[in-house]
Amino acid sequence: MIEVTGLYKSFGENKVLDDITSSFEEGKTSLIIGASGSGKSTLARCLVGLVAPDEGGVLFDGRDFLGMTGKERRGMLKEVGFLFQGSALFDFMTVEENIRFPLDMLTKMSTDEKAERVQFVLDRVELKDAHKLFPSELSGGMKKRVGIARAIAPNPKYLFCDEPNSGLDPQTSIVIDNLIHEITQESNITTVVITHDMNSVIEVGDYIMFLHQGKNWWEGDNKSILKTENQEVLDFVYASEFMKKIKA
Amino acid sequence: MASFLYHLGRYALLIWRVFSKPEKVSIYRKRLFDEMVTLGLDSLGIIMIISLFMGAVITIQTSANIDSALIPAYTIGFTARQSTILEFSPTIMALILAGKIGSNIASEIGLMRVTEQIDALEIMGVNSGSYLILPKILAAVVINPFLVVISMFVSIGGGYMIAQFTDIVSVPDYVYGIQFDFRPFHVNYALIKSVIFAFIFTSIPAYQGYYASGSALEVGKASTRGVVFSSIVILIANYVITQLVLI
Repeated sequence: MIEVTGLYKSFGENKVLDDITSSFEEGKTSLIIGASGSGKSTLARCLVGLVAPDEGGVLFDGRDFLGMTGKERRGMLKEVGFLFQGSALFDFMTVEENIRFPLDMLTKMSTDEKAERVQFVLDRVELKDAHKLFPSELSGGMKKRVGIARAIAPNPKYLFCDEPNSGLDPQTSIVIDNLIHEITQESNITTVVITHDMNSVIEVGDYIMFLHQGKNWWEGDNKSILKTENQEVLDFVYASEFMKKIKA
Repeated sequence: MASFLYHLGRYALLIWRVFSKPEKVSIYRKRLFDEMVTLGLDSLGIIMIISLFMGAVITIQTSANIDSALIPAYTIGFTARQSTILEFSPTIMALILAGKIGSNIASEIGLMRVTEQIDALEIMGVNSGSYLILPKILAAVVINPFLVVISMFVSIGGGYMIAQFTDIVSVPDYVYGIQFDFRPFHVNYALIKSVIFAFIFTSIPAYQGYYASGSALEVGKASTRGVVFSSIVILIANYVITQLVLI
């Protein structure tokens, strides 16, 4: 479980996160949603230490992440997988090398064990024959899959996904969403997904936090969000004509 | 001034991180050899072409500027050798490599920054500064003295070519000139410079790339800054080293 308490972050005069308090449970896919500029990505970056919050606490299963020394934090991050918006695959490495990289750097696995693990995660994301391809040879959806494979390769306890389906067609988006959801349940991972995709919200949102003006404006699940009377949430959920027709 | 001190401090902190203990030595060793090929062997062609022609031009220009009968002909070979060993091979080659290698390093690391690849390393608990920059610095520091020595031989060979194929200077005079009053210390001085300059033309562009932010446009600007600043620092360091070592 990840617990966030009283998190604040400002960039100059711009208050991006304003007293965020919440918790993300293990084995569940927690979504952080909100309009562009609402602070979603900044929150995710604060949770993993890429951005230092001005105030507040982040506990990973009771361990105070922000209070850790640099060395302790690096140790802690070995339990974290992160799928970046642009996948952030290393250009100079093949798919296989990308996935093996965290195993090389973070584990003491033998060469055979690493090869086995790489094959397992590639099978899991349905990319059996992509070993020797470079990121420049992959489609957007394939890059996301390889990003997921790399993130889950070292068996993380916590998985963060920043806009996992941005730039993907609706069908591939659903495949990626379901993949993240299934992996979360299979391995009992604490998963936090940053998104503004309503399909994701409805398909896989075990827990949803709606950020508005940097605040934790609303929280609930994928059923309650469709019935809420919170005006800002309604404006977000029913922004498209398609969703308005469904509501009608 | 405040900006200068800010960048100096941040550069020093980055270098401190770069030289901290690597996570997996075996991974770094592989990267070191890869960088030696990229930064060293891939630069060999341009180094040899420039050195050959510069050696030839130095010889012709020295000859053109010596029109007194009181100055012996072997002075042409002597001047070509001294120019090559003291300045051309260690310093001018470093400026050329600052352009070639420096822009390559700054843009490579800068692109990794803006595409979140450096963040990905940090999230994995990897010291990104050390993983990305240390092999480049070590590779350049190891390989650059070899490049400089090769440049010296090729440049002096360029002058020999002029002696062989033109009547600007005779071969015996040129060969006598390049051997005249040879001081091995001058080669050591050039090698000291080559190591220091290699550190400069890798670490400064790496710093610029590492802290690039925003778009591809910013990566381009970081690359330009890396080349300009490393060239200026090389020239200042050249003056300081010469003052300290030669005088």
